[in-house]
Amino acid sequence: MAVLEKNTMLNLAENTVKAALRLGAAEAEAYVYDGQAVNIGVELGQISKTNRIIDRGIGVRLAANKAIGFAYTNIVNDQNAIETVVARALGAAKASKPDSDWNGLPQKKPYGATVGTFDEKIVALSPEDLVKVTSAMLDAAGGVDKRVFPIEGGVGSGCVSAAIANSSGVTGYDRGTIVECSLAALAKEGGAVTPICFEFNASRNYRLDPEWVGREAAKLAVSALRPKPVESKTAKVILTQFALQDLFAYTLMGAIKADSVQRNQSPFKGKIGEQVASENLTIYDDGLYPAGLRTSVFDGEGVPRQKTPIIEKGVLRNFIYDSYTANKESKESTGNASRAGYLSTPGIETTNFHIASGNKTTEQMFSEVGDGLIIYYLQGAHSSNPVSGEFSVVATPCWRIKDGEIAHSCRGVMLAGNIFDLLKNITVVGGNERQMGSMIAPWVIVENMRVIGK
Amino acid sequence: MKDLLTKITGAATDNFGAQYAEARAQQIAKTMLTLKEERVEAAKQGIENGVAIRVLVNGAWGFASVGSLDAAILEGAVSDACRMAKLAGTRLKIPIKLAPAKAVEAHVVVKPKKDPAEVSVEDKIKTALTINKTILGFDGQIKSCGIDYADLMINSFFVNSEGAGIEQDKLYVWARVTASAQSNGAFTFSREEIGSTKGYELFDEQAPEEIGRTVAKRAVEQISAKSPKGGKFPVVLGPNVVGVFVHEAFGHLAEADLALSGGLLASNMGKKIGSNLVTFYDDGTMEGSFGAFKYDDEGVASQKTLLIKDGVVTGLMHNRDTAHKFNTAPTGNARAEDFRVEPIIRMRCTYMAPRDRTLEELLEGVKSGYYFKSFRGGQASLDGTFQVGIQEGYEIKNGEIGAPVRNASISGNTLETLHKVDSVGKDFHLDRVVVGRGRQLLSVMVDRT
Repeated sequence: MAVLEKNTMLNLAENTVKAALRLGAAEAEAYVYDGQAVNIGVELGQISKTNRIIDRGIGVRLAANKAIGFAYTNIVNDQNAIETVVARALGAAKASKPDSDWNGLPQKKPYGATVGTFDEKIVALSPEDLVKVTSAMLDAAGGVDKRVFPIEGGVGSGCVSAAIANSSGVTGYDRGTIVECSLAALAKEGGAVTPICFEFNASRNYRLDPEWVGREAAKLAVSALRPKPVESKTAKVILTQFALQDLFAYTLMGAIKADSVQRNQSPFKGKIGEQVASENLTIYDDGLYPAGLRTSVFDGEGVPRQKTPIIEKGVLRNFIYDSYTANKESKESTGNASRAGYLSTPGIETTNFHIASGNKTTEQMFSEVGDGLIIYYLQGAHSSNPVSGEFSVVATPCWRIKDGEIAHSCRGVMLAGNIFDLLKNITVVGGNERQMGSMIAPWVIVENMRVIGK
Repeated sequence: MKDLLTKITGAATDNFGAQYAEARAQQIAKTMLTLKEERVEAAKQGIENGVAIRVLVNGAWGFASVGSLDAAILEGAVSDACRMAKLAGTRLKIPIKLAPAKAVEAHVVVKPKKDPAEVSVEDKIKTALTINKTILGFDGQIKSCGIDYADLMINSFFVNSEGAGIEQDKLYVWARVTASAQSNGAFTFSREEIGSTKGYELFDEQAPEEIGRTVAKRAVEQISAKSPKGGKFPVVLGPNVVGVFVHEAFGHLAEADLALSGGLLASNMGKKIGSNLVTFYDDGTMEGSFGAFKYDDEGVASQKTLLIKDGVVTGLMHNRDTAHKFNTAPTGNARAEDFRVEPIIRMRCTYMAPRDRTLEELLEGVKSGYYFKSFRGGQASLDGTFQVGIQEGYEIKNGEIGAPVRNASISGNTLETLHKVDSVGKDFHLDRVVVGRGRQLLSVMVDRT
């Protein structure tokens, strides 16, 4: 199935809004989504599977008597199907309770331009091309060391289009591409197995280095062999982007959502303008970041994406809003309403959570740490306390730094603390920025990390 | 539907060179609610349908998912899947082969006492509001609460090129309830999940007020809790934590594909890796449990699978591919969340067989340690490193439960830990959690108090 055309999608969204108003909704919004993806999969070290997914549908949110109803369907082929989904959304609204804080769907605002989020080259990639990329990655991994076993991974390309319309005059259309390759590998020696080590590339443009991905995953796995124990102590640690993303996703990123703040779930409540982190830390939520993995023209309610300062030199500047939470404080939405395709109502999420880079090289950071740990992957970050920010996680694997150099890998090391204390203990921000999911960040050095070893 | 799917799988084998083909058509109807405090954020309804097609060509898989039941679109998808599988197979060293499975023809219907489709959305909102009002009224220190509720009815039709034809209904009712409390700068968070494959009678078995009180009480008690000391301690794990421990620390290692990927169990089959008290099952036949179903997504009948008996590894969880690699029979563990994804090996209801001790007897021998009652998340790695976060825990002093501790987590190596299991209690309860592996979320049971 070909990707739906821009006009087809916009017409579908607009017609659905009209149908909803005709059938009795006071306000209505329609979100049309078309997602297509092709993946080549690696299992047990070989290319053994492929998949293609075509997923399209429509989500209708409407208000009747200030009560909100939502319905979705992937059956979008005729007017009858449209009226059915509208009727279900209306039925849901009528069964629901009025919300006195509801202040209407967002109004039309001019959209900014995005850069580097769509690449025809990705659309044109054939499965043959993707198999070649996957092979290059596997060959590179296999060439590093005989003890390395690529476990799983693959290469995938995707193209997503979205159109939105609402009864307050919003209309929008956007499309984007992404290409990814990733490899999870481990190393075996004697009876010992390392934890899985992972590397990846992900890009909105056709820019991949599969050999680098394969090689780095393999090198990490080899260096994770022959672990030695670590003493329990308070230490200086380098957190790589993997670890930072895991820790922040379940704690800090929740604490800056206006919904958490308004509902007394954020320790940041009432602290705008206060020093909440080390002076080294500046964070933006940037929905328009050039070629950002989460960059788009508008958010899940058709509000323009924007760049919002969150923390500047350690001072808390803003929270992130959708239109509902913004209305409650008589503010403007920051364009942070997010959707899971057509299947969900909008909810507040970060876009590209950008931790501004410093200028330290990785060598300088190792020597700055002197004696400590470098943490790549964490286990159990999702079990952090999302409200208090307390975490207790396992680093698998991590590496010991001695005299400014990596000495050996470690196993079974736990890290415990509170994310809001950790923010104040970030003493160095590196210059090695990279994108990872919803985060753009360099490595950072954290002091006084509680390390629980053998 | 059967004719259409048979035509599709037939085209794969007759025209496009597939050794094996299967098609799984599904129609899914959902009702969802999100409530925050006493506000209904949205009442939601969804209907979707689609087909998952999987073909084996020259020993490699091709998978296609389309959100359509249109014959021409499905024919295009199956031809494309075969072409891509052929392409993937060009560098294959070990072709995939399938262990034999009986070609079942069956029709499985669900007969809930209370069909959620017959319960009005108004009534569902009323139940959810009762839970939230109970939480908010429990204590002044409660600051927020929320409920995500979902019920879904899945009608599936499975056909494969070996003659299987299974129509199967599945019903799920689920809710996640959360609460946060705050006092003197201390923030706490508590959550509970409930669910059933029986029907809406779930809320007759567990009264909404009771669910609310459980969640609220935990959030409030944690305010005065202190952080645990880091280090090695004897612990008593409540059934809820044991369940997630079995799932994370052992269960994933017993998924045959992960065992083949270098996990610890492939080389330990038939060997003793735990104390005599350790017996684990993965069971897909416990009626009403969240992990219960009749046939898996490869058309294989579900069963009760013994994984460890008295400390000795006796079995793994298989799909037809891994069963062939281990020269054994598939166990009915191939599961797919919906038509968007391919079936992978997933746990059903994984649990530890109970023994004879009471909680008091378990506590008795512990001079200084912790009693961990309820978990919040867990994760494991192939080398056997596990972590389980604890949302409700207490100190044990001289055999007695003491002060609450918060945000503890336990970690260790599975093989070392299973040898150290010293005594096992007799309390056995079933709860449900939704657990992720890869990009799929599926329902799995854990045992709990």
